[in-house]
Amino acid sequence: MSVVEGKELRIVGFLCNWCSYGGADTAGVSRFKQPTDLRIIRVPCSGRVDPLFVVKALISGADGVLVSGCHPRDCHYSDGNFYARRRLEMLKRFLPFVGIDARRFHYTWVSASEGQRWQQTVTDFTSLIHELGPAPLLPQNKTLPKEARA
Amino acid sequence: MKKAGYLKKQKEKEFIAALGAKARVYAPCLEDEAVLFKPVEPDSVICLSRPAVSSPKSAIYPQSETLFSFRFKKDSEDPRRTLVELDDTIAVPDTIIFGARPCDARGIAVIDRAFSKTETPDPYYLARRAKTTIVTLTCPEPSTGCFCTRVGCGPAETSDSDVMMTELEDGYLMEALTSKGEALLESPILEDGTAYEAQAKEAQKAAHERMIKEAGEADTTPVDPETFHSQVFWEKAAERCLGCGACTYLCPTCYCFNITDEQVVDKGERIRSWDACMFHHFTLEASGHNPRAQKALRLKNRIGHKFVYYGEKYDGIIACSGCGRCIRGCPVSMEISTIAAALKKNSGTVSGEQ
Amino acid sequence: MNLEKLKEIVRTVLPSVDVVIGYKKGLDALHPVPCFLTSPDEIDALVLNPACMHNLAAYLPSLKNRAAVVVKGCDSRTVVQLAQEGLIKRENVVVIGVPCQGAVSVRKVLSAIDHQPVIEASFENDTVVIKTKKGEARLALRDVAPDKCLACRYPTPVVADHLAGEEVEPKIDEKTAYQEIREFDARSLEERRAYWMAEFDRCIRCYACRNACPLCVCRESCIAETRDPHWMSQKATQNEKMMFHMIHAIHLAGRCTECGECERACPMGIPVARLKKKINMEMKELFGYEPGISMDDKPPMYTFKVEEEKIEEHKIR
Repeated sequence: MSVVEGKELRIVGFLCNWCSYGGADTAGVSRFKQPTDLRIIRVPCSGRVDPLFVVKALISGADGVLVSGCHPRDCHYSDGNFYARRRLEMLKRFLPFVGIDARRFHYTWVSASEGQRWQQTVTDFTSLIHELGPAPLLPQNKTLPKEARA
Repeated sequence: MKKAGYLKKQKEKEFIAALGAKARVYAPCLEDEAVLFKPVEPDSVICLSRPAVSSPKSAIYPQSETLFSFRFKKDSEDPRRTLVELDDTIAVPDTIIFGARPCDARGIAVIDRAFSKTETPDPYYLARRAKTTIVTLTCPEPSTGCFCTRVGCGPAETSDSDVMMTELEDGYLMEALTSKGEALLESPILEDGTAYEAQAKEAQKAAHERMIKEAGEADTTPVDPETFHSQVFWEKAAERCLGCGACTYLCPTCYCFNITDEQVVDKGERIRSWDACMFHHFTLEASGHNPRAQKALRLKNRIGHKFVYYGEKYDGIIACSGCGRCIRGCPVSMEISTIAAALKKNSGTVSGEQ
Repeated sequence: MNLEKLKEIVRTVLPSVDVVIGYKKGLDALHPVPCFLTSPDEIDALVLNPACMHNLAAYLPSLKNRAAVVVKGCDSRTVVQLAQEGLIKRENVVVIGVPCQGAVSVRKVLSAIDHQPVIEASFENDTVVIKTKKGEARLALRDVAPDKCLACRYPTPVVADHLAGEEVEPKIDEKTAYQEIREFDARSLEERRAYWMAEFDRCIRCYACRNACPLCVCRESCIAETRDPHWMSQKATQNEKMMFHMIHAIHLAGRCTECGECERACPMGIPVARLKKKINMEMKELFGYEPGISMDDKPPMYTFKVEEEKIEEHKIR
């Protein structure tokens, strides 16, 4: 994932198609100023977000991951976000156990009309990630010496 | 015997550090409770007192290695064309495997044939192999599951190593077996070993006798073809097998691999990685058909490769060095030694057990 | 654990099932192995002692026929969980429960005897007697019990059609069961990270933990190995190793019955069960749920409440 070196960090956002993606669009159409670090991946529903998506992103070098769906009781598929809430809460509590800062992962709810709320979420999360700095990289290749080029 | 040196135990660390200055040294290192062959680092704790969980094959044949890396690029002259940049340099360091056991060294000899005695010798493996010196320790004591003498190896077997090292009271006698070994023994840290040779001979003989007592003499009985092709035999033998790859990954002689392209966006690597015949995916074909869909068939392949197929290709040699790692490392204690012994009998009612 | 009683039960049960899964002697007394009995002649080969560590319920989902299975307390939870998820039919399984005083970790025994080759091993009440070249070692069961037994709250099977032995009272309460996890949680983020990096570094991706896990039921379709979807590469890097363990742990969220087989199976001695235990602790706190206790429960990740009492909306700061 390309970023503006020295200025941006890598933040991945998983946004549900019906609410949060719309909310982000609203923010854009309304020309609300937002930081540019976030790379959005549109998913049909927050219920589609496997906690492993988040883990994969974090292990692969993302500095932050944001998941956003419809507000509870407002899911386009009626209960997808209820499942998501349980899974993501589990993940949020598990990550620190293996040494990943839980603050690098945030999940929230933003509706299609909440352009302002979206702007606030992105701005706050991005500034937090900048405070935390780049995620400590996993040693890619500790077991094998460099010469082995594995 | 061409040359012998004596390494005092208190100088072991110093000697290994001196080797480390010249080459990458793989030795059995203590990690928590597990002894693993790893590149020696300044803070490594070397443990020679018991056989390592893993074999040292990874020094020559790493679990995953890059064959080449590639990058796709748009042609700046003609944007419709995509160019590929390849990097296939093989850079290999000098390597010393220190403290292997004779079964480990035998394992490497088994792998050697597969990568060299073929129409397409493998440049990656051979480059590493040529730069590797193997220092083997005489096995003082049989461990749980050891049966090396039964497959024609032995605790003091010298045929596959460059240096043979035998533990004596306050040090090790190091005997060079090849010119590579002689070069390694050129060290001011070593004393002259001539005086200890007789003592070492004794120790080696004693170790050999202990192992024979434990595991028995070499068993050259051929595998019974009827038993070998009995589905019932394999189903019974594989009954408790979990189908994991612990046995193959710990095995010093297993060399099967997989080649995959691991690409992310515009760049990637073609890598070769260990594969295990106990995995379902091992023989899964692109069509979806799997000729070895059941674990019984997969076990037959694993044992068959070691005790039948390999020998058919290479002068009747058994591709098992009797190290017992697969037995000790198996979550359900599958015993390759008893299965192999049962294969040699034709009792009519084949049962896969002793 | 009462072997004679067990044999008697197996004798009565055997005619009504296709196979009885129990334990028999393996390469030595410390390594009994799972066995599959089909005839009464084999009953005398059965063994039952604290070294019978394997969770035999792991074999159930792959069996097509009616089977009887010998289970300890922890293993019985697996039977419940499997039935709850519809992975086995409860009516196809005859559960022979053995109340358990705690098992023996071969790893801990070997460590206690300085990794000497074992010549002989036997069990007396609460002692393991190990004979090695250096002499006889008498080890208290408690000192060589696997971690899971030290935190066991279900020594008597939670479900059993037959019980081979007297019920055993749990020695641990709920709070102390997760003490180890709380202590680990108290370490700094960097320490925890360094700890797991060092542990995962040893992983050889043999998947013994996954295959030994009775609740890892994806089998051939496990995303750690499939090329499509391509979750993981075949590289032996720490990223990949860590990713694999995350997959295993997260797929067991709210399902792990803490039988500890993953950890026991690992040839490298990586404490992988700890990851699952942490998630279990959170499941208990969040949803008051414990896997494999009641047949009528629903795993918490398979359901939801409109108002979650314990989940509050997170603030970014």
